[in-house]
Amino acid sequence: MLMKADHSGDPSVMPTLTRRGFFKMGGALMVSFTFPGLSAIGAEVQPETSHLASWLEIRHDNTILVRTGRTEIGTGMSAYYAQVIAEELSVQPESITLLMGDTDKTPDGGYSAGFLYGAANLRKVGAYTYQALLGLAADKLRVPVSSLTVADGVVSGGGKSIRYGELVQDQQLDLKIPVSGAPPKVDPAEWNGLAGLDGLTVLGNPPTKPVNQYKVVGKSFPMPGIPAKVTGKTQWSCDVTLPGMLHARMVRPTTLGSTLITVGALDKTRFPNAQVITKQNLVAVLSPNEWEAVSAARSVASGTKWSEWSGLPGSENLTQALRDYKWGAPSGSNGNAAEVKAALAHGAKTISATYEQPYIKHAPIGPFVAVADVRTDGTATVWTHSANSQGLRAQIANTLSTPIEKVVVRWLDHAGQFGRTTFGGDGAEGDAAILSQLSGRPVRVQWTLQEDLAWSASSPGWVEDITCSLDDHGCVTALRSAFYSSQSNDARIVGALLAGMPCSQPKPGYWIATEWPYDKIQNRREEVYGMPNLGADAHTAGLRGLIMRTPGQRQQNFALESLINEAASCAGIDPIQFRLLHTTDQRLIDIIQATAKAAAWEPRPSPHPGARRTGTEPITGRGVDIMVRQNSYWMGIAEVAVTPDTGAVQVTKFTIGVDCGKIINPRQLERCMKSGVVMGVSEALKEEVTFDKGKITSTSWSRYKILTMAEMPEIKVVQITRDDKGFGGGSEAANAICTPAVAAAFFDATGVHARRIPLTPAYVTTLLKG
Amino acid sequence: MADELALSVNGAQHFVSALPDTPLLYVLRNELHLSGPRLGCGMAQCGACAVLVDGQEVRSCIAPLSSAVGKQVTTIEGLAQVWARKKGLSASDAGLHPVQQAWIDEQVPQCGYCQSGMIIAAVELLDKNPNPTVAQIKDAFTNKPPSPHLCRCGTYAAIIEAVQLAAKTMSV
Repeated sequence: MLMKADHSGDPSVMPTLTRRGFFKMGGALMVSFTFPGLSAIGAEVQPETSHLASWLEIRHDNTILVRTGRTEIGTGMSAYYAQVIAEELSVQPESITLLMGDTDKTPDGGYSAGFLYGAANLRKVGAYTYQALLGLAADKLRVPVSSLTVADGVVSGGGKSIRYGELVQDQQLDLKIPVSGAPPKVDPAEWNGLAGLDGLTVLGNPPTKPVNQYKVVGKSFPMPGIPAKVTGKTQWSCDVTLPGMLHARMVRPTTLGSTLITVGALDKTRFPNAQVITKQNLVAVLSPNEWEAVSAARSVASGTKWSEWSGLPGSENLTQALRDYKWGAPSGSNGNAAEVKAALAHGAKTISATYEQPYIKHAPIGPFVAVADVRTDGTATVWTHSANSQGLRAQIANTLSTPIEKVVVRWLDHAGQFGRTTFGGDGAEGDAAILSQLSGRPVRVQWTLQEDLAWSASSPGWVEDITCSLDDHGCVTALRSAFYSSQSNDARIVGALLAGMPCSQPKPGYWIATEWPYDKIQNRREEVYGMPNLGADAHTAGLRGLIMRTPGQRQQNFALESLINEAASCAGIDPIQFRLLHTTDQRLIDIIQATAKAAAWEPRPSPHPGARRTGTEPITGRGVDIMVRQNSYWMGIAEVAVTPDTGAVQVTKFTIGVDCGKIINPRQLERCMKSGVVMGVSEALKEEVTFDKGKITSTSWSRYKILTMAEMPEIKVVQITRDDKGFGGGSEAANAICTPAVAAAFFDATGVHARRIPLTPAYVTTLLKG
Repeated sequence: MADELALSVNGAQHFVSALPDTPLLYVLRNELHLSGPRLGCGMAQCGACAVLVDGQEVRSCIAPLSSAVGKQVTTIEGLAQVWARKKGLSASDAGLHPVQQAWIDEQVPQCGYCQSGMIIAAVELLDKNPNPTVAQIKDAFTNKPPSPHLCRCGTYAAIIEAVQLAAKTMSV
């Protein structure tokens, strides 16, 4: 059965509905996919996921099962996906069960961070299915499709009505929808060493529900997993236990580049059930009893000898090390360098600054953990909380040198990862798979917090040189920036690196992450430079870098918006007014004005007339910044209290505004905005990875400090929803709107520019002393 | 040698075979299969493993099993029962502990990994101070030894709202 729908006139992307049979009991409509370009030439490709039953199932009991390889990472996607698909099907989201992340049960793959992509896909899946259901109802009710209406899964027309469940009763219906894409694989040609991480893309343009008719999207549907999480019923990835499973604790090298000299002895009288497994520099102690594994690992570690290595510059010398690096050509650039240079030379005033930030950590509350069961026949099952199950599957298959068809990755909830597992790498999964392969038993590997803070990848430190020129009216005429950082795409799995087993091969480089908000600043030249991991050499990966929440833009927006704040101050113009002078984008103007109003902003230039850099009494200041990202417009206003003589900075209030197109779930968005502010303020005030010549030294919560509840500002949220602008990225980027506003507020209070974050008391004291 | 030790958890007596210095967390998780308390830092710096021992918050990642013997251990799995007993109701009539219900009503958890510990801290706080101010809530979750309760997702604002909601429900 071919369906009537607009598919851009291309017959190759027509969905097909087939009745495979009749059943006495049950019945369902299963939605799976086909690759049209390939089937058209008679070579129907069987993707890795082809054996999957379906993407979506409409069941005879009116329940709906939706499967997606994308996962819940804590920001509410499990609610949003259910809402988006419920909307297209005209059902209540409560009738939908989401199955997420398992590679053997979900069809599409893809980044969990890629919500917009995932939502666009599921919206089309829902729309195709809706058309198929209308077709079935039209046949059954003997009325034309055009006279049918649907509400809550009941199709009505011609005075009759029928539920979706009845339409599929006693039948097995198979709807195939057109997709493109390929499963992930390790691919040295790719910038991060992996291809296919985007997952599948649904093709064609089935008619979707007009936004102004939305009944489910736009409502604050609760996150489905919360009741289980607060009652102890959730099964987390750390809860997986298998028959015969061994607990493992890793004995890590003393530095990032150390090699193993001798393994410490295992005292079998104290630890009778423990064993040591070693492969190159991968050392682990395993036991059926977790506490025995912990205790034995400590004992073995104390006797294990490693070579010395000192390939790092030390965190206090980071900026100098970045300065000293022999940078080649930029890995990304835009704008005409010569024209911008000429425009800069003609400005009435020029402002130049360098901004910088040390390495920071994703720092989840739960350290990495994984369970793997690798069998002698080459099959491997890995239980994970990775944000890219299919990517991890490709990594594991590559490391174990086993066909990808033999690897299954099962996903479970765990601590938020904030981007470090987005490429499917890092983490304990490699350790677990290798140890399971070597021991012949299922193995659970639990990292410690110290190990996690020392051995997981970090968001790399950076410096950016940025310059702009102003005309006689104080308007920016040209802007040039050069961003320098080490790579943040190293998703290699630690266990494979230490064991000397096959790994993906990321390439050094960086990318321009800024989405340009100032259409009236036309002369701009942006350059980004990427280098390999700090300390990397022939024998070690060095300080591995990975993307972290709002990657690239978080860093580059700090520099851009800080410079804009300096320019506004130099021009003697209120920083909000200054921004309005440089854009004609009405969405940006609207969110700027709405947020300013919510913060009761009274225009004046910065710094505050009473700004001072000494004294024991706190002085207050306020600062602002904006950001455009993924079809969303952001505005932040920070209010701070600085005590000059102690260097203490407190963010007392933060007003955050967003226009992210059609808001799917206002309440969850508010939660994400408030929690994002906590993370962003934490970054602005506290977070810094320290390292000596060989290793990371900030390996506990007392040395890697994050914001506590008492340090949280009062947070005010502003949301603008629009029916005509599609969906935008709303849940991720709130963290990135904080740091420039906090730094600007510090300047407003003290009259001193803060060009480095975090604003720790030690740094602030030095800064204010001048 | 592992001894057979009697442990009272969520109102039930268990006999566990473990070394007395084994941290309580490992016993709760691996012997009693309770997944509420979870390993965070393993050194009493974050609160993810918090449980109640005789009504007091204890970090089970460092508390040895022997320290809990002869006392009443409560995890989030047992909170509904605690509430039922307090109200003199049967477990089925009492429903969730008001703190858990508030955590659902206020949609507190994001990833949720730290929230078992947060809920335990809230129950202990409301037991001592049935109507805390925002400042008192912040103080309890930050300054009470041995460490602040940390949430990396940043749900602190929602936690404050949920504690206040629970305080209101519990006072009725």
